[in-house]
Amino acid sequence: MTWTQRIVLLLGGLTLLGVTLELIRKRRLREEYAVLWICTGLMILAFVVMPGALFSVAEWLSLHYTVLMMLVCFIFLAAIVLHYSVVISRHSDRERDLTQELAMLKDELAKLKEEAREPPPPPVEPRPRPPALRT
Amino acid sequence: MIRPRENGRDKESEGVAMPATHSGSTDTIGLGTRRALVIVPAYNEAETIHRVMRDLRRHAPWADVVVINDGSKDATSFRARQAGAKVLDLPVNLGIGGAVQTGFRYAYEQGYDLAFQFDGDGQHRARRLAELARPILEGHTDLVIGSRFLRPRGMTAYGMRLVGIKILARAITVIGKQPITDPTSGFRAAGRRAIQLFAHEYPQDYPEPESLVLVWRQGLNVREVPAAMRRRRGGVSSIRLWNGVHYMAKVLLAIVMDTLKGRVQIQEEVVR
Repeated sequence: MTWTQRIVLLLGGLTLLGVTLELIRKRRLREEYAVLWICTGLMILAFVVMPGALFSVAEWLSLHYTVLMMLVCFIFLAAIVLHYSVVISRHSDRERDLTQELAMLKDELAKLKEEAREPPPPPVEPRPRPPALRT
Repeated sequence: MIRPRENGRDKESEGVAMPATHSGSTDTIGLGTRRALVIVPAYNEAETIHRVMRDLRRHAPWADVVVINDGSKDATSFRARQAGAKVLDLPVNLGIGGAVQTGFRYAYEQGYDLAFQFDGDGQHRARRLAELARPILEGHTDLVIGSRFLRPRGMTAYGMRLVGIKILARAITVIGKQPITDPTSGFRAAGRRAIQLFAHEYPQDYPEPESLVLVWRQGLNVREVPAAMRRRRGGVSSIRLWNGVHYMAKVLLAIVMDTLKGRVQIQEEVVR
């Protein structure tokens, strides 16, 4: 590994770690997601310190060509993005559930306020409540 | 607890005459003790919503109405309340699927036996709701679709739109092994089982065609009845990207993905 490569890797790794830590500090990144990026940053730094390790890993995986290395990187990133797609889908489902629930609760609240102001209405026959929706 | 027809005796506003509605005397379709709800999804329909309400009051006084205001930027909510509707305001815009599902959740939790989907833009006719309800009231159907094409009358789609719907209808027919002529129709009636299903799970992207696949997957019965519709009076179709092919491809893809999905597990409802 040339010195230029090592310097670029060093800067890259430090930047990644720095940005991650700064985001955690500003509470814009949850720790559970930050762990992934801290590990990635540390791994890059480890390879800067011990370039031999990188080549051992490459040897072990039979990665003799740059293209194969790129492929490994791509698979790694694709897995992360897929994970985030799952997270986003779950969040939009929850957001929808909460929005719907909120609209119904607001209505319920308005009705209760109305009833509190007026004399109580004649009793209504109780209607069994259906089982709660899974959320 | 919602009492049926609590909206019926509301103030007469804007000079809109409201026929008096009283429980019992208005049951012209054989509901008996069952209760019906009309779900009206509305997004920026302030211009048309009071006409829709008047239509419903006059021709379907036997049903309660809930307007789902899907985060409108105009006075939809205010106008709907003025016209005597119960309104659920979604604090953020969810799109047609999320809005309609809110109505089904409400219908489920309030114990309605029959729920209709009825657009807030005035293209559906309240007079036809009774025909939609009949197969469900007779007890052998879970979901009824009002089709514009079942009889050659009152067709309201033209050009690429018609071609698109035809292709989609063919695809849906193959998937469901049951002839469906108007899979994008938003004029529908759902029985208790379908209400329960939709309260738990309702497609969000292209809800009308996709919900058919869902309903078949759960083993519910679907039926189409003829229903003439008006040309829309205002508002914008929820199908915005209507450059035929693009829309078609996306809906078909969504439907094919729906066929891959497993069954939804729904808790058995306590018999009332």
